[in-house]
Amino acid sequence: MKIIKLYTLAAVMVGLLLTSCETDWLDREPTNILTDDQVWNDGNLVLGVISNYYDRLPAHTTLTGGWVDYAAYDEAMWSGYSGNDWLNNLVTYDYGRWGLWDYGFIRDINLAIDKLQELSELPEDQKNQFISELRFIRAYVYFEHVKRMGGVPIITEELIYDFSGDPSYLQFPRNKEEEVYDFIISEMEAILPTIGNGGSATRANRFTALSVISRAALYAGSLAKYNGQMPTPITLPGGEVGISPSRANEYFGKSLDASREILQQGGYSLYNANPDLGENFYEAIINKNGNPEVIWAQDFLIAADKRHGFTYDNIARSVREDNLGSSAITPSLNLVEDYEYLDGSSGELRTRTNDDSDYIYYDNVEDIFANKDARLYGTIIYPGASFRGQEVFMQAGVAVWNGSGYDLMESSGLGTEYSDGELFTAAGGPHRSIQEVTNTGFYLRKYVDNAAGASTRGIRSDVWWVRFRLAEIYLNGAEAAFELGESAEALGYINTLRVRAGFGANSLTSLTMEDIRHERRVELAFEDHVVWDYKRWRVAHEKWSGNTSNPESMIYSLYPYRVIRPGDARDGQYIFVKSVAPRFRAPRFFQLGNYYSLIGQNLIDANPKLVRNPFH
Amino acid sequence: MKLNIIKSCLLLFLGIVAISCDYDNFEEPKSTLSGRIVYEGEPLGLRSQGVQLELWQHGYDLFQKIPVYVAQDGTFSAVLFDGDYKMTLIRGNGPWLDRTDSIDVQVRGSQMIDVEVDPYYTVSEPTYTVNGSTMTVNFTVNGVNTNNALEFAGIYLGRTSLTDAVRNEGASIVAGGDITLGTPVSVDVPIPGGLAGRSDVYVRVGVKTIGIQEQLYSQVGNVGL
Repeated sequence: MKIIKLYTLAAVMVGLLLTSCETDWLDREPTNILTDDQVWNDGNLVLGVISNYYDRLPAHTTLTGGWVDYAAYDEAMWSGYSGNDWLNNLVTYDYGRWGLWDYGFIRDINLAIDKLQELSELPEDQKNQFISELRFIRAYVYFEHVKRMGGVPIITEELIYDFSGDPSYLQFPRNKEEEVYDFIISEMEAILPTIGNGGSATRANRFTALSVISRAALYAGSLAKYNGQMPTPITLPGGEVGISPSRANEYFGKSLDASREILQQGGYSLYNANPDLGENFYEAIINKNGNPEVIWAQDFLIAADKRHGFTYDNIARSVREDNLGSSAITPSLNLVEDYEYLDGSSGELRTRTNDDSDYIYYDNVEDIFANKDARLYGTIIYPGASFRGQEVFMQAGVAVWNGSGYDLMESSGLGTEYSDGELFTAAGGPHRSIQEVTNTGFYLRKYVDNAAGASTRGIRSDVWWVRFRLAEIYLNGAEAAFELGESAEALGYINTLRVRAGFGANSLTSLTMEDIRHERRVELAFEDHVVWDYKRWRVAHEKWSGNTSNPESMIYSLYPYRVIRPGDARDGQYIFVKSVAPRFRAPRFFQLGNYYSLIGQNLIDANPKLVRNPFH
Repeated sequence: MKLNIIKSCLLLFLGIVAISCDYDNFEEPKSTLSGRIVYEGEPLGLRSQGVQLELWQHGYDLFQKIPVYVAQDGTFSAVLFDGDYKMTLIRGNGPWLDRTDSIDVQVRGSQMIDVEVDPYYTVSEPTYTVNGSTMTVNFTVNGVNTNNALEFAGIYLGRTSLTDAVRNEGASIVAGGDITLGTPVSVDVPIPGGLAGRSDVYVRVGVKTIGIQEQLYSQVGNVGL
């Protein structure tokens, strides 16, 4: 009986528990997702959404994504992990390389703009500022598309399928290439008054938008001009590819106006904080502390665990702090020789006497680089240069005098001793075949972090990725001004940049297009420009012709050797040998079909209104 | 005995498992489509992997092209399923006028086709004479469609039959302005040091039309040194 009573009591209590809850027990706010109302009515949450979009901006080669492709052109080659040697052995560039079709991202942006307009009850000016920022991001994404694919469909609102079985009203044809550039420029112009964010180097402001105009209009202008100058211009009948040469000057004008406005009103200045000009140029990019030159960057922060391994992968071998990694991207001799001597002479390194009868002997390995453009030091670690206060010494081997010539000998290891008790091959290479040591005789300095521990996998680096800096605006301005016949203005801009690199005032007295392109190459190396510049000037297929006899298609190296010639004054000095880098196999080969990337057949199947790009 | 029955049943079962299915559910394609790129019945010399033909087959869910690369002697082949295909030539890809019509190809077993194209320039069969360290090359460039000017003719020397403007050990260029169409040209070409010690070299002459990436070549010649 007792037991039955107990059971009854328990049953009643359970019954009470079940009925005592509130009636909306099953009708609750979710704790793991945010609703539209919550997100679009809270400024901080909207900012969170926008931060995510900034982080998703596409780029070809940045510190976090695609950086291995720095080793796929003529600025550098791959000397890291040997499994990536395909970068030195690219038979041709694939037609799909650089391809981008990110309408998922564009839809997200369109959706955000819609929600802000329809749902949000934020103050009007705050809402407008967010919408301007989103329009900036959207236009920038379209710029990334058009420079790769040519004209793409411009979609500015959310597309919704009605499940009727006929999706054809959602299939948009490609816009003309010039329409996309016009769209980018007009969007940027439209948001100038409302975008705000003055003084920010990581969120877009008025001058960031002008910088995008400066670059995009310059691209459009040179595409119009140089495509028109090809023997048979690359075009499609519908204008999806190919801009009429008659519009070139209009675009150059827009670019020049934008550049002038940034230079005159932006309040930016070239970084000049360090009297050591080489270090100064290095800091101009990586210094995040009140850097007056950087207009727009993607920032990283170790404290917030937003960091990257670029330094771990690319630091010079002999100063690496980890037991693995290092030396992945190693600059080519081609690029090193593009840095002029400060007296204005060609940057070709002097390794042989004028009559080519003998080597030139140097007391120290770094002496051959004396009196060069300071940007060489700031971009590249050459033999004998220092990094983080340590000298990065390089010696490939020894040159032993045999009575009539030199026997060049190299060790099979690193940091080895020759039979005379002196150094054989340096700990920092260069070495012909070992992985993770330079194969060209140079290491990368630009963007490699000099902070303690930055090259370890445990700490990593938070150096930022600079999307726009003032030096590019000077170069954009110079190029646009020169194209428009304003050579004096162009000359002024170029000379300003050269002063910072250690040349005297007015180091150039006249200017050619070749000078401007050369200046761009040495100033903006490893900043994701070379491919796009070569494409818009329509020179990529000539520079990278896939022919071993074309020096611009090959990657060259410079190997220092210590001379062993007892009893001679030259004993212990250094000689240098130039050659094609040993691990480099296939000349760079850019075909006409690479000027615009492949639109995948899956996209064409889904939308038959898309036309294929030329040569595909 | 009982045990034996179980064992034999097990064996039988294993046997059935072993024979009951193939490794693959699909037959591999067995029909071969082969052919040549021709002009007036003669196959054209090209750069290996330079020219791509496309085969398309309508009527299936997956609509993707089958790329067919043309070899250096102007031939190509592909192993396919029987069916009806459309072959297209990519615009601006080869050294000939764009051919915008597709070609119907019915594959039933093995099939040979000749794809007739309309080139810009052709080069008549060259002759090669070796004199010590130079080679004298005689050839004639003929104009077929001369709206696009002749940029240059190149003589390429290499160590394999895959010799062309990209893969070669030595090249000499004769500018288009120095060539009269239809008139024989004679050029002395130095034999590069890297080839001098060999018993034979491979040579071919290519003609480059302005604005067209690919050149049209003579068939590869093998010349004894």
